[in-house]
Amino acid sequence: MNDTAIHPLGVLAGYAMLIIPLGLILWYRLGIMGRTITAIVRMTVQLVFVGLYLQVVFRLNSVWLNLLWMLVMIVVADGSILKGCGLRTRALWRELFIALLAGTVVPLGVFVAVILMRPFVFDARIVIPVAGMILGNCLRANIVGIGSFYNSIKQGEKPFQCALAQGASLSEAVKPFMADALRQAFAPTIAMMATIGLVSLPGMMTGTMLAGANPLDAIQYQIAIVIAIFTGTSITVVAGIWLSARRAFNAYGMLDAGIFV
Amino acid sequence: MDEVRKDCGVIEVEGLTVAFEGQNALDDFSLSVEKGGKIVLEGRSGSGKSSILKSLLGFIKPKRGGIFIDGRPLDGHSVWQLRRLFGYVAQEPQMGAGRTAELLERPFSYRANSELSFPRSKLLELCERFSFDGKLLEKDVSALSGGEKQRAAIMGALLLDRPIYLFDEPTSAMDSHSRTVFTEIIKESGFTALIVSHERILCEAADAVVRMPERKPAQ
Repeated sequence: MNDTAIHPLGVLAGYAMLIIPLGLILWYRLGIMGRTITAIVRMTVQLVFVGLYLQVVFRLNSVWLNLLWMLVMIVVADGSILKGCGLRTRALWRELFIALLAGTVVPLGVFVAVILMRPFVFDARIVIPVAGMILGNCLRANIVGIGSFYNSIKQGEKPFQCALAQGASLSEAVKPFMADALRQAFAPTIAMMATIGLVSLPGMMTGTMLAGANPLDAIQYQIAIVIAIFTGTSITVVAGIWLSARRAFNAYGMLDAGIFV
Repeated sequence: MDEVRKDCGVIEVEGLTVAFEGQNALDDFSLSVEKGGKIVLEGRSGSGKSSILKSLLGFIKPKRGGIFIDGRPLDGHSVWQLRRLFGYVAQEPQMGAGRTAELLERPFSYRANSELSFPRSKLLELCERFSFDGKLLEKDVSALSGGEKQRAAIMGALLLDRPIYLFDEPTSAMDSHSRTVFTEIIKESGFTALIVSHERILCEAADAVVRMPERKPAQ
């Protein structure tokens, strides 16, 4: 066992710490005990599965397997976004998939090939965790951004129609709604960048230091990944809205109510 | 792309049927308005008056029937050019978020209106006629009262100088002075106007009042 690995007894001690939150749930009768235990079991099973799977993936380090894994992550994220936004999966699935792909691949490519200057850009040890970090943030930003965009047009039908009646093209009429959606989608990442290192030490930096890296090396990784995440979220939200809008509005510029669940 | 003719203004509605959730809100409605004509649509709530205006703007896709503006059929392609002929004031208008002056200027930044320049002198003239305090232009539109919002929306529409105007209950929150000013503008202007209203003053000023047919109760 290397010095960064946790002993199984240590992991069990970690589970023992759950007595505190579970005790509070019981004491205050929150009625979420079943859901909490299910979530803990799911977390454990999912992570064990991913750990085992990634061991194989890292050992094989096959370009095709790595790409397939990324594809699976994007497909799962795509479904989660549509579900989280209250939109019909069938209606906008393809458009959001392309947006997520662009939002993940562009910053990932720059991160691996330009920033890290790796000769083998498909190295599983780099590509899969970094893609996961970028994609996870794209997912959160898209749920906020795309959900806000379509729901605000649905609720703000009058100012939207007012703009169309004044001669606005569809892109001009949706511009204020898009600006609001982007503001909301970017807000968590901007807040995270503003407080990083002060309020919390981010996961990647912590992980790099736990693996024995110098803190100054760790912050370089962290800066690069935060920039990649911000770039990825901006690409994916803008692309997600533009691509989905082509399908969500009819020829008259009216929002198709059928996209909502 | 066809050039939009500014001298147009003929509206023809033929057998318009509009349905919401399977129930007809408007049934086989026809109307013809000549250039410069002023028509008031009057009828009970839910009789389909607003649906006619929204159909003309392409906001509602009719179940049946046709709409022609100066002989040109309204469809998914032509609607983007035909909308440039309309000025529209919705019932309880909402122009968006921001300062009133900004919202009045915003339509002049749209590509379709690029040949228009913002008529500042006309705005001042309208403010004076409607007794609309110039300070309100600097306020956020959300801070305006219902009547002030209506006047601002009407002024915004008139600034665009369109050949056809669609007004949906434009004076419902206005004081009598503003109602009179609005009626005078309707009478003296050369544009075509379709006005949804119950106001006697507007009905008297119009060329014709169209009473909407009563809808049969659902079976």
